[in-house]
Amino acid sequence: MRITNNRRGNAFLEVVLFLPLMVLLLVGMTQIAKFTYTYFSLRKTVYSVASYLSAQQGVNFCNAGDPNIAAAISFGLTGTSDNSVPVLITGLDPTMISVVAQRATPTAGGATSLAPCDCSSDCDISQGQLPPDYIVVSINGYTLTPRIPKLAQMPIPLMPRVKVPYGGT
Amino acid sequence: MSLPFLVILVPVVLGMMGFALDLGRIYLIRAELNQAAGAMAVAAAQQLNGTVAATSAASAAANATIDPGGTDSNAYNFGSLTVGQGNILLSSATSDPAYFAALADAQAAFGQAGAGSGADGTSARHVVINLNADAPLLFWGLLSLGQSRKTNIAGAALAGISAPLCTGCNIAPFAIQRLDTGDTDPVDFGLVPGNIYTFGHSCTGTATQLTGSTGRINYLVIDRYDTGSAVTEDDYLFNLGANGLQTSTSTPGWACSTINGTENLWTGTLSAAPQACAAGTPRPAIQPLLCGLSTRLTNATPTACNNVTNVSTISGSFPMDSDVNYYVAQDYVDYAGNNRRIITVPVVETLSATAPMTVVGFRQFLLEPNADSSIPTFADGDGRFLAMYPNPAVQSGLTSGAVLPLKQGRFDGSCGITTGPGKVVLHQ
Repeated sequence: MRITNNRRGNAFLEVVLFLPLMVLLLVGMTQIAKFTYTYFSLRKTVYSVASYLSAQQGVNFCNAGDPNIAAAISFGLTGTSDNSVPVLITGLDPTMISVVAQRATPTAGGATSLAPCDCSSDCDISQGQLPPDYIVVSINGYTLTPRIPKLAQMPIPLMPRVKVPYGGT
Repeated sequence: MSLPFLVILVPVVLGMMGFALDLGRIYLIRAELNQAAGAMAVAAAQQLNGTVAATSAASAAANATIDPGGTDSNAYNFGSLTVGQGNILLSSATSDPAYFAALADAQAAFGQAGAGSGADGTSARHVVINLNADAPLLFWGLLSLGQSRKTNIAGAALAGISAPLCTGCNIAPFAIQRLDTGDTDPVDFGLVPGNIYTFGHSCTGTATQLTGSTGRINYLVIDRYDTGSAVTEDDYLFNLGANGLQTSTSTPGWACSTINGTENLWTGTLSAAPQACAAGTPRPAIQPLLCGLSTRLTNATPTACNNVTNVSTISGSFPMDSDVNYYVAQDYVDYAGNNRRIITVPVVETLSATAPMTVVGFRQFLLEPNADSSIPTFADGDGRFLAMYPNPAVQSGLTSGAVLPLKQGRFDGSCGITTGPGKVVLHQ
C-alpha cells in the first residue's frame, strides 16, 4: 500500500512539474504559429498591393494622394478597391503601407542598380516624365504582441516588403 | 510507468510542434521564394526584344530585385535574408534565368533547378526562374529525420510575352496608314522587314525621303491632348514624343489606343494639320513632338527645340538610349540599347485629317540616326525622321514589327488580330 501511495505521489508531482512546461510549449507553439501566419498574411498583402499597382495605368508614384495607390492599398487590405468591407488583418491600417518607386540605371559591370526616384525630375507622370522601373511595397509600424501567461509581453514589429517590376501582369 | 510514457510522448510532441511550426515556416519561405521568382521573371521578360543582348539585359533586370547590396531586395525567412544569400546555417541559390522560345519548353524547365536556356536572346520569348533556399527546422531538427536542422525549399516562376494586345498603352502618337492595298498582308501591313523608312508628316504634293531610306510613311498626330494637364501644349507634345501617350485624370484610357477603335487628328491649339510638302517649317505641333523624339537619341537639345517652353527642364527627365548606332536589316539583332529607341505606332486603315481613322494594329519601329550614325537635327520642314521596321533573326520566328512587349495593355474582347506586340504575363 505504501509503495503504491508513493508512486501515486510521484506521478502527481511529475504532473505538477511537467504541466507548466507542457502549457508553455503549447502556448509558445500557438504564439509562434500566430506570428508565422500573420507575417504570411502581411506578405500576401504587400504582394497583392505591388502586383495590382504594377499592372495599373497612370499611377503617379510622386503624388502621395494618388487614387490608384489608395485603391491598391485598399485592395490589399480588404480585397476591394473601394474600402467597402472591413480590413482583413486586425490592426493593419493604410498608413502603414508605403509604396516607393525606383529607377534602374545600368552599372559598369553590366548589372543594374536601383535607386528611389527623384520626384523633382523623374517618375512624375503628371509632368509627363517616364514611369518608374520598379516599385517597393513595405509595411512599417505593424506590431504583434505575443500572449504568454506570466511572461513579459513585448510588441514585435513585422516588416514584410516586396519589390516588383513596374509593368506586365 | 511515466518514463516509458515520456519516451513515447517527447518524440510525438516534437513531431507535432514540427508540423505546427516548421511546416508553417516552410510554407512561408516557399511563398517568399515564389514571389521573388515571380518578380524576377516579369522583370526579365520585359527586356526580351529579339536582340542578342536581350538575355544579358533581362538577367540584369531580374537580378536587380535580389541585389545583395540593396536594403530592400526581395528576401526570405521572415525577410531576414536576401534571396540568393545565406548565413552560417542556411544557404540560398539562384540559377541563371533560363530563356525559351516556346511556352512548352519553358514549362518543361519550370521547377528544374539548373535548367539551361533553350533559346538565345534573338528568339527568347519566355523566361523561367528557378531558385532555392534552406528553411531552418526548429523541432524536427531534434528528431532523427531532421539531423541537418534545415531543409531545402524551391521556388520557381515562368513569365513570357503574351498574345497580341487589342489595346496598347503608352504608344507613340504617330498614326500611319497601312501600305498593303486590298488588306492582303495582315502581318506586316505592306512594310518590308529590315527596311528603313522616312516618317514624314502627311503633306500634299510630292513627298520626299531622307537619305538612306527605302520608302516614305506619312503620319498624322492622333488627338491625345489633355486640356486639364498641368503642362503647356508644346511641353505636352514634347512629352508625347519622348515618352508616348500620357494618362489623363479626366479621360480614362487616354494613354491607350484600341484596335477597331478610331483616332482623330490632334485638336489642340497648335496645328497638326497636313500642309504642302517642303513647306520649309513644320506645323507648330510637329516641332515639339520631334524634339521629344530627339531625347531617345541624344541628351543634347537640338537647336530647333529651344522654343519649346520648358525644354531645358523637361528634357533632363528623358535619358537617351544607351545604343544609338545605325542598324539596317538583319543587324537589328545587334541592337544593345535599353529600348528607348523602339517606338510603337498605331496603324490605321486610311489616314485622314477630317474623318475618324480606324486602328487596325500596332507595329514597332527602331528610331534611327542618320545613315552616317550622326544625330539628326530634328529640324525638318516636313517633320521627317528615320525609323527601321525591325527584322528579327530569321530563325527566331518572331514577328517583325512586334519585338518588344508593351508595359501596359489589355486583351479586351477579340479584335481579330494574330500579330502585334504583346505584354509580359506571369504564367505560373
